[in-house]
Amino acid sequence: MKRLFRAIWKILSSRALPPVIIGFFLVVYIGIAFFSDETLTVLMAFTRGSFFLAAVLALLPLNCACRIVVEADRYRKRRRALSDALSGLQPSLYDETVDLTASSAFADLEVRIGKAGYRTRRSDNLLAAWRGVSLSPTRIVFLAGMFCLFSGIFISLLSRTVYRRPLIEGEAFQAPFGNGGIVERIVFGKSSGPILARDLVMEVAETGSGGRSEKFGVYPPSRFRGMFVYPRYLGIALFYRFSAPDLPGGYEKLDVLPLYPPGKEASTVITGSPYRITLTLVKPDDGSDPYITGRMDFLFKLLKGKDVLFSGNIARGGEFARNGYRLAFPDCRRMVITDFVGDYGVQLIWAAAVLLVIALSAWLPVRLFFSRREMLFRSEPDMVRACSRAEGGARKHAGAFHEALDLLEMKKNERPSYEDGVAAK
Amino acid sequence: MVAVTLSLQLIAWTVIVLVIMRGIPGHRRAVTIGAGIGFALGVAGVLVMYRLLPGRVPLGMIKTALGVSFFFLWTIAVAAIYRSNVRDFPLLRWGWFVDTPLSAWTGAIMAGIVAGSIIACRLPGFDIAAIQLLAFAALALAGALLASAARAVERLLPSLITVTPSALLAAVVALLLFCSSSLLRLDLFSPLSMKVMKGIHDFVHQFMESILIPDHIFIRPAIWGYIGILFGKEVGFWGGMVIWFTPAILVALAIYCEPLPSVAHIRQGAQRRRLLADAIRTQRYRLVIPAVAVVALAAAAYQSSFPSVEYWDPKPLAVTATPAGEILIPKKGEVDLEDGKLHKYLYKRGDKEVRFFVLMTPDGKLTVDLDACAICKPDGYGQAEGTIICYYCKTLIPLDTVGKPGGCNPVPVPFTERADGVHIDGMSLVNNWTRTVQATTRVKEGNK
Repeated sequence: MKRLFRAIWKILSSRALPPVIIGFFLVVYIGIAFFSDETLTVLMAFTRGSFFLAAVLALLPLNCACRIVVEADRYRKRRRALSDALSGLQPSLYDETVDLTASSAFADLEVRIGKAGYRTRRSDNLLAAWRGVSLSPTRIVFLAGMFCLFSGIFISLLSRTVYRRPLIEGEAFQAPFGNGGIVERIVFGKSSGPILARDLVMEVAETGSGGRSEKFGVYPPSRFRGMFVYPRYLGIALFYRFSAPDLPGGYEKLDVLPLYPPGKEASTVITGSPYRITLTLVKPDDGSDPYITGRMDFLFKLLKGKDVLFSGNIARGGEFARNGYRLAFPDCRRMVITDFVGDYGVQLIWAAAVLLVIALSAWLPVRLFFSRREMLFRSEPDMVRACSRAEGGARKHAGAFHEALDLLEMKKNERPSYEDGVAAK
Repeated sequence: MVAVTLSLQLIAWTVIVLVIMRGIPGHRRAVTIGAGIGFALGVAGVLVMYRLLPGRVPLGMIKTALGVSFFFLWTIAVAAIYRSNVRDFPLLRWGWFVDTPLSAWTGAIMAGIVAGSIIACRLPGFDIAAIQLLAFAALALAGALLASAARAVERLLPSLITVTPSALLAAVVALLLFCSSSLLRLDLFSPLSMKVMKGIHDFVHQFMESILIPDHIFIRPAIWGYIGILFGKEVGFWGGMVIWFTPAILVALAIYCEPLPSVAHIRQGAQRRRLLADAIRTQRYRLVIPAVAVVALAAAAYQSSFPSVEYWDPKPLAVTATPAGEILIPKKGEVDLEDGKLHKYLYKRGDKEVRFFVLMTPDGKLTVDLDACAICKPDGYGQAEGTIICYYCKTLIPLDTVGKPGGCNPVPVPFTERADGVHIDGMSLVNNWTRTVQATTRVKEGNK
C-alpha cells in the first residue's frame, strides 16, 4: 500500500505531468478541429460534460500543489544543510556529489573559497559556501500562481453560470434571483483612468424598507448577491407609436435596440403587418456622444415590404406624420445588456495574474545577476563528502568546486603540517 | 523538365537517408535497403491509389501522416528539453532503441514511404497509361539509387558530426515537410497558420470573458490597440511560425543544455579540462543536424507562403443598390454570370465596403458568396481548375461545395434569382460582411 501511495505521489508531483496533460488536451483539440470550426467552445463543452476530461484537467492544479510541497521541502532541506542542521548531505538535492578521501581540515579551504566571492559558514565537520540568491522562493510563488490559474480555469469551466438581462433606466433591476430594485440612472461618461476610456455606472435603488442605493461600474466588476455584474453592450430602449392608413388602431411597443455606437443600424418589426422600421442613432455635429448627453436623434426608414415609404429624423419625444402615417418616439432610455456571472474562478485567475507578475519580476534579475551557487564539504568517517549546485553560471562554479576538491586532496598529503597548525603555502 | 521539377525534393530525400544513416550508424546497410524499398512502396502506393480512389484520399492520407509526424516531433522535442534540464526526469529513456536493426528498418521504410508518396504526387498527369507507369517506375528507381548514393556521401562526412535521436527525427520530419510544401494540397504550414489564428482568437476571447474584461467601447484605444494585436491579421502567420520552428529549436536547446559529464572525481585539472572540452566540441557538432532541420522548415514556410501558382481573380466591379437597398446583377451584359467563372463585385454603403462574388457551380446553380470565409482574414479567393483557393490559408475548395457554409468555404449570401439577374439585399450583405470579417476587413485590394 505504501509503495502504491509513493507511486501515486511520484506521478502527481512529477514535472512531466503538465506537458503530458497539456499535450493530451492538444490532441483532443486537434481532433475536434477536424469536425468543428468552434474548436475551443466544443472542447470546453466536452470538458464540462465529461467526468474523465474534468478529472484530467484537475490534475494540473493538483500537480502544482504537489510541486509546491516538493520544492518547498527541498528548499528547506538545502537551507538546513547549509546551517549543519541535517545529519548528512543528500546527493538528490545537488547537481554533483563526490566522496573522496581527503583532508577534513577546512580552514584553509574556507579562506580560498571566500576569496572567490563565496560567503562561508564553518562548523566542526562542515564547510558551507554560497553566493547569490536562491530562485526557490520565486519558483514557489510561480507555482502558486500556476495553481491559482489552473484552479481558476477548472472552477470557472465547471461551475460558471451566466444570465443575460437588459437593464433599462427607470425599469426593474432584473437580477436572476429575487427582486433587485429599480435602475435609477445609467451614467455613461469619460473616464480619467489609464486603461478605461469610458465609465459606466448603473445606480440601483433597492425597493422596500431601507431603500439603499447601489452602484455598479465597469471594472473591476461589482457583485450582486454573489454574482458579478458584467456590462456587455450598450443600447437604447425605445418606446414608439405607429399608425398607418391600413393600421388605424395603431401600434405601440417598447423595444430594446442595439443602436450604440451612433451609426449602427437596427430594425424593429411591426408585428402582424408588412411594416418595418430601420433606425440609426445620429452622431451630433458637435461630436458629442448622445448616450452621454441624452440628446438622442434617430434617423429612421419606414419600409413596407421592400419599399421605402418614408425616411427622416425624429428626436426623442418627437413625431413624424405624413399621408396618414404617424410615427412617434415618446420616450427612449439608456439600456445596458448585462451578464450576471456566477463564477468563483475569476478571483483565482486575478490572483494568478498578480502572483505570476511578481514571480517573473523577481526571477529575471535574480537569474541574470544573482544566481545561486552552493558547495558543501562535510567530513564523514574516513572521507569527505562534497556537494555542489548552481542555478546559473554553472561552468564557472564547477571550476571553483573542482579546485576546492583539488585543494582538499592536496592537503590530505600535507596532513602532518596542518595538524601542527602550520600554514602550507 | 520533370526531373528539374523534382530535383529539390530528390535532394531532400537523399539528405533524409544520409541523416538516418548517421543517426543509426551501426545499421547503414539496413537503412539503405529499407529506404530504397520504402521509397518504391510509396511511389507504387500513390500510383495504385490514384487509379482506384478519388485524388483526395491519397492526399488526405499523406497529409495525415505528415501531421502525425509533426505532432510526434513536438512530443519528442518537449521530452528532450525536459530530459536535458530536469535531472530526475523518468520518462522516455528511449535512446537505446534507436541504434537497433528494428528501428533502422522501420525508420528507413516509413520515411521512404512518406517521401516516395509525396514526391510521386508531384509527377504530372500523363494521358497515356504506359508513359505514366514508366514515369512512376523511373521515380522509384531514382529514389532507390539516391538512397545508395547517400551511403557513399555519408562516408565522406566528418566523423565529428553525430546525430542524437531527437535531432534525427527533427531533420527527417523537417525535410519531409519541405518536400510536401511545394504541393498546395499537401502543405501543412498554411492550414496551421489559419488554425493558429482561429485558436488564438478564440483563446483570447474566452480568456477576456472569463476575467470579465469590458468591451472595447470602454477601453482606451491605445490599450485596445495592444490587445487588438492578438486579433490582428498577422497573428496567425507569426503564431504558425512559432509552432513550426519550436520543435527544431527545442531539440537544439536540449543538445545545448545537456549536462556536461561529471569530472569532480578527477584530480588532474588538465584531464578534467580535456574531457570537458571534448564534450563541448561534440555538443557543438551535434547542433549541425537541428540547424539543417531549421533551414528545411524555413524553406518549407517560404514555399508555402509564396506558391508559384496563378489563379483567375478578376478585379471587383462596383455595384450600387436601389433606394430600397436591393442590388441587381444582370445575368448577361458586361459579364456572363453563367460562364462558370468567378465574378467579383464591390458594394459601398456609407463607410463600409463589401467584396462578394457570383459563380455558377458545376451543377448549374448560381451562388452568391462573400469574398471571405468565417475563419481567415479576408484575403479573398481565386479560381483554379475545379476549385477555388482561399488566398490566406491556401485551402482548396471544390467548386461543387461553393455556396455551402462552414470551414474555409466562402460565406454564402442570401439572394433571389430571377429572369433578369441576381437580386441581393444590400443591408443583409453589409451586415453579413461586418459580422464575418469585423475589424480585419481589407477590401481595397483590387486585382491581385
